[in-house]
Amino acid sequence: MAASNLKQYIIVYLNSKKYGINIKYIDSIIFMQKITRVPGAQDYFMGVINLRGEVVPVMSLKKRLGLPDEEYGSKARIIIIRPEPQAACVGLVVDQVKEVITLEADSIEKMSYDESDEKAQFNAGIGKVEDDLIDLLNISAITRT
Amino acid sequence: MDVSQYLDIFIDETKEHLQNLNEHLLVLEREPENESTINEIFRAAHSLKGMSATMGFTRMQRLTHDMENVLSEIRNGKMKVSSDLVDILFKGLDALEAYLANIQATSSEGEEDNEEIINALNNILKGKKAETATPAEAVKAEATKVEATKVEATKVAGRKENVQQAEAAGDSSKMKFKTIRLEEHEKKAIVKAGMMDLNVIGVTIYLVETCMLKGARAFMINRAIEEHGEIIKLFPSAQDLEDEKYDFDYSAFIITKESPEVIVDAIMKVSEVKEAVADYIKLSDDDIASNTEAIKKEEATAQIKLFTDTGNAKQGQAAAQKTTAKQLTNRSVRVDIDKLDVLMNLVSELIIAKNGLVSRSSEILELQDAAFREHIEYLERVTTNIHEAVMKTRMVPIESVVNRFPRMIRDLSKQLNKEMELYMTGEDTELDRTVIDEIGDPLMHLLRNAADHGLEPAEERKRLGKNPVGSIYLNAYQDGNSVVIEVKDDGGGINIEKIKKVAIQRGVITEEQAQRMEDKDVIDILFRPSFSTSDKVTEVSGRGVGLDVVKTKIESLGGEIEARSKMGEGSSFIIRLPLTLAIIQSLMVVIGGEKYALPLGNIQSIEEIGKDEIKTIQGKEVINLRGNVIPIIRLGNILECASGEQPKDLLIIIVKKGSRLAGMVVDELIGQLEIVYKSIGKYIKGHKIISGATILGNGEIALILDVNSLV
Repeated sequence: MAASNLKQYIIVYLNSKKYGINIKYIDSIIFMQKITRVPGAQDYFMGVINLRGEVVPVMSLKKRLGLPDEEYGSKARIIIIRPEPQAACVGLVVDQVKEVITLEADSIEKMSYDESDEKAQFNAGIGKVEDDLIDLLNISAITRT
Repeated sequence: MDVSQYLDIFIDETKEHLQNLNEHLLVLEREPENESTINEIFRAAHSLKGMSATMGFTRMQRLTHDMENVLSEIRNGKMKVSSDLVDILFKGLDALEAYLANIQATSSEGEEDNEEIINALNNILKGKKAETATPAEAVKAEATKVEATKVEATKVAGRKENVQQAEAAGDSSKMKFKTIRLEEHEKKAIVKAGMMDLNVIGVTIYLVETCMLKGARAFMINRAIEEHGEIIKLFPSAQDLEDEKYDFDYSAFIITKESPEVIVDAIMKVSEVKEAVADYIKLSDDDIASNTEAIKKEEATAQIKLFTDTGNAKQGQAAAQKTTAKQLTNRSVRVDIDKLDVLMNLVSELIIAKNGLVSRSSEILELQDAAFREHIEYLERVTTNIHEAVMKTRMVPIESVVNRFPRMIRDLSKQLNKEMELYMTGEDTELDRTVIDEIGDPLMHLLRNAADHGLEPAEERKRLGKNPVGSIYLNAYQDGNSVVIEVKDDGGGINIEKIKKVAIQRGVITEEQAQRMEDKDVIDILFRPSFSTSDKVTEVSGRGVGLDVVKTKIESLGGEIEARSKMGEGSSFIIRLPLTLAIIQSLMVVIGGEKYALPLGNIQSIEEIGKDEIKTIQGKEVINLRGNVIPIIRLGNILECASGEQPKDLLIIIVKKGSRLAGMVVDELIGQLEIVYKSIGKYIKGHKIISGATILGNGEIALILDVNSLV
């Protein structure tokens, strides 16, 4: 089997549901830290953090997806995303980072969605792992703020 | 020879020469007889020709060659400077700039031959030479030669004369100097030397044909000669000698006390000289008679004249010496701006690290001793000095931007058929390189506005009893931590009533608002995008073309712009720019429990005001501070901070923007801090008041507030 047919995803939990983020976008995963609020920002942005001397905006992935956003526990992490190789970083806050999975191209089911529904665009397909279904996230759409 | 490695130097130097040409052409137009200007122009054109030839840019070389031909006629006093002539020279200059732009972009000069300009230049020459002989052929011959090979071409002028003179002299004597025709002023100098009992000696020097550095060799020989006397003429000229534009022999005329033998001896001591022949120079009796007369007359007027009268040769010589001297004293290094950016970033990190150390040391009790504090303070001093030093290396005089404006105003003056003068001051004011690169267009815009809309037509000016020649001023100066650039005209000023009328028509303001508005608020309407882009408004008000674009640009540079106007007396636009963008002094404050940084530059004062001193006028909170009614802004509300118990006294920071004041209410002051500006990126779109963020000593982030946007 050709390697190009394999895609690796990081499985994260949002409100105890599983989501997958393509590993190619991920710069690093860091512990939750103090986030400085930015007044007047889009509501899903929690603020900015200091990432190794750079100011990086951080968004609540749950809010971005329109999910209820509650307190974050000790397992919460910030996933630092680089949407394009040369682009600036942006952080996504998740409840928990679970594991890395490898999916074959034919075990990813594309979903048809309504163009006008912004939230639906955030889905990049459904990944089938054994008898589990994982919502794969469309990072480009999510970071297109 | 591979010359690509010299391309950068070529581009830089060409820019300098072009700018030089530009400036001096402007002077020439005003003072057509100014000899030193003509010489300066000639030298710049000449250097350009040589440089482009060396680099193999034949089109560029051909154009400069033809420009030089015309200039040479002017220099020799055979042609008068006219406005048309300057126009054509300017066109040539523009074409050269286009070549340079091409070279910069693609390393090739492009395909444009600029035949039109070359023809115009040649026509001037033809018109002039018509009475002498066969001009068309000569020009044509030259043109073809020019295209042949680069080095060959640069010699054309000299060679041609050589041939003529060789013919005149008949057989080729080794004393070539005897065949060189002397200019009137040179003859005069020779006569004068005779009157002072000095010898005039001609000498022709032959170098060995294997000589590699002819320019340097000639320089050494000339220096050897000058130990014994004064060189009054070199053939080819000193500049050509320096540029190695001669075969293997050249001639010199020397005024000296010594005999020809002594001179030959001195020359022969220089290595790589094959032969030197010298003899006394004798002028015809006629020449002596006529020049003696002239000299006597002149001596009566001024003695200093002697200096200039020894002529071009000496001036060329002086120039040659000047350039050599410059090379010796010029101790600068060209540094890529990217490298400076890296350095600046490192300094930023150093300052963050230093701030971290400072904040940590105040938390740890064991570190609270005097010695430790001393070290910290020392560190603080050093980092501040490094910052300043690095900042200074990035500073460029504003001259590099504004020096193209005199030319622009000249063109506008012709285009608009209005007479105007541009007066500039403070061209040496320095700004950060990044700002310099961006400030050109806005300034150009403002100057165009001033020329086009600001100044009235000449007839109207006369009618109003003003000087028919309009004045535009461009003043730059440093004011504390910022640089102020002011564009001013002495035109009719901004018509407030017309703006009001149009603004009401267009629904920008209501009639009621218009009546209440102060003049400066009305002028501010000009900066509104919806207002200024409309042609209709422009026609009526005669103002506001793209002023919003100017404003946006200035603000993106962290600066601000303000307009002032007085009916009938003119208007002025005042731009205020920060000295540097990366590191700023700021006041740290607490608002609703969160830390914010306010740039110190705009802060006027800090006041503590009793709650009951706040009055409400037309729904707005104001205070009366020493006679000034100042609106106050509760930053807590704007930043949606959880506001706590309101204390009895309010801390108000008075901010000044242009001539306006406003008070910002904050909860607590932390102190002054040198902060490093960081962008918060394009993903997050915060309140417009947030201009960026900075990282504090403890790693926390504080947002930087651009309180100006609220004033």
